[in-house]
Amino acid sequence: MTQNPLIQVKNLDLYFGAFHALKNVSVDFNAGELIGLVGDNGAGKTTLIRVLCGIHAPTKGDVFFDGKKVEKFHPKLAIDQGIETIQQSVGLCDNLSIARNFYLGREPVKRILGIPFLDFAKMREKSSRVIRQFGLRENVSADDEVERLSGGERQSVKIGRAVEFKNRVVIMDEPTNHLSVREREHVNELAVQLKEQGLLVIYITHDIFQVHKLADRIVIMENGEKVADASTDSMSAEALEDVIRQGGRVVEKEAV
Amino acid sequence: MALSAAKPLIRRHTEIGIFLIGAILIVIFASTSDGRWANLYNIGTIMQVTATLGLMSLGVAIVIGTGEIDISVGSTFGMGALAHLWLAARVDPVFAALVAIVVGAAIGYLNGWLITRTKTPSLIITLGTLMIFRGIAIALTDGFSFSIPYAARNGWTYSLLGGGDFLGFNTALFWLIATFAVLIVVLKAMPFGNRLLAVGGSADSAHSRGVRVERIKLSAFVICGMLAAFAGALEAGKLGFADGSMGRLMELQAIASCVLGGCLLAGGRISLIGALMGAFVLSSIQSYLVVTGVQPQWFILILGLIVVGAAYGDKSLRNWAIRK
Repeated sequence: MTQNPLIQVKNLDLYFGAFHALKNVSVDFNAGELIGLVGDNGAGKTTLIRVLCGIHAPTKGDVFFDGKKVEKFHPKLAIDQGIETIQQSVGLCDNLSIARNFYLGREPVKRILGIPFLDFAKMREKSSRVIRQFGLRENVSADDEVERLSGGERQSVKIGRAVEFKNRVVIMDEPTNHLSVREREHVNELAVQLKEQGLLVIYITHDIFQVHKLADRIVIMENGEKVADASTDSMSAEALEDVIRQGGRVVEKEAV
Repeated sequence: MALSAAKPLIRRHTEIGIFLIGAILIVIFASTSDGRWANLYNIGTIMQVTATLGLMSLGVAIVIGTGEIDISVGSTFGMGALAHLWLAARVDPVFAALVAIVVGAAIGYLNGWLITRTKTPSLIITLGTLMIFRGIAIALTDGFSFSIPYAARNGWTYSLLGGGDFLGFNTALFWLIATFAVLIVVLKAMPFGNRLLAVGGSADSAHSRGVRVERIKLSAFVICGMLAAFAGALEAGKLGFADGSMGRLMELQAIASCVLGGCLLAGGRISLIGALMGAFVLSSIQSYLVVTGVQPQWFILILGLIVVGAAYGDKSLRNWAIRK
């Protein structure tokens, strides 16, 4: 991990109106690394990754992807760069089928006289395979609307989609929410596998103990600030939990 | 009970309600009008009205699909009618209709641009443009109507654009069928349709998947404007005259057609065939009142009552279908 960071966040500030959501945040993310992004509710974890995946544009500061400064923020651009995100509260449209959700924004087409028509066969086949692999109920088909699915199944569709289209970066925002114990293990294994394949994996969670076992590095956020950034070798889960409990600051220096 | 077998069908197809209502009304109208409603000539008239209202409703349905609303379509219809008729007397009607469509596209673009740029609710913006373009239409015509000389009505292209019949029906009906076929394919079988419904289902989710939400909404308004103006052109072609009040209150009928036809105002779920059936039902009611000699001023009142009744009936049907 001596090469340039794949994603570099420099002195990032983000305001929502008067609310200062991100305060001078700087983090490096390297390829082949699994990073746990931890913090309490409202700490700014989700806001930070929403900048990385193009949903929010920062008010101040820069983001570099692969050494190049990101000038425009839009999910389409992030996806084109190879950033797949499993969002927590968005990502699926209830009114569309699983197959249509799966390919939303990147629909495979067959051209007839130059006019793009959806390639239904391909959409069904791939999304069916993924939903079987992720253990959705037998009677769920790729043509069913997402509305029919349970919380865990919805989460599985999102995870399956991100893994299927994995490219260079996979961001997981609370990926194990709504999942059973066995499904959780599966997701955690997947996160490690993706990292081993050389991808950058950013794993957001409340649960420091869970992610400490998987991650190479833990970044802790608190009130929109980064308060700790330490390799899991150098700090135990307990020590990191203390950082969260004390609102960071105290151990910030020694953590790095 | 055998009836409960229909439940899943009703749950899946929101447009079934309007078809049932349509069927019931057809029976009532046919049996209580002494043959004055259910005859070929009158059905032809209903179809002509359905065609122009239907084109407008299809456009409104597309906009509703994105979770927005366009109530300016009545005025867009009027502008399309004026542009078409004024030009059809001077140049080939095909060119006139194209200009009318461009006018509609421009109004749609203005609506969409204002809504996506200012993030103002579409109800407010299109209420404004409804009044603006009605005002322009009245100002342009100075409050008078004008008609196209008979000599200019003879060409086949004039007939083709609402000014004549084909197989016993006004040509507008065939434009409606063609437009419907194209829109169904676009909506169901092309990436644009997938994204359009995604935007209406959850704009945030669509955005997070890289869909250009504002571009989709803008396109929907442009399509809607084009269809409303084209409908106006066909109507003007049929009548042979136009004035500044053409299409007034039609926006309400178009929205009613969509809602009765099973389009969810919250977006994401629309039925184009349902919107057309809604337009047919409204045109049928209008025609029934005319042939039975009800004073035209009662039309809006009775229409309103039927819309409320039908909406309630549809809701009851849906609740019944959801129950196990």
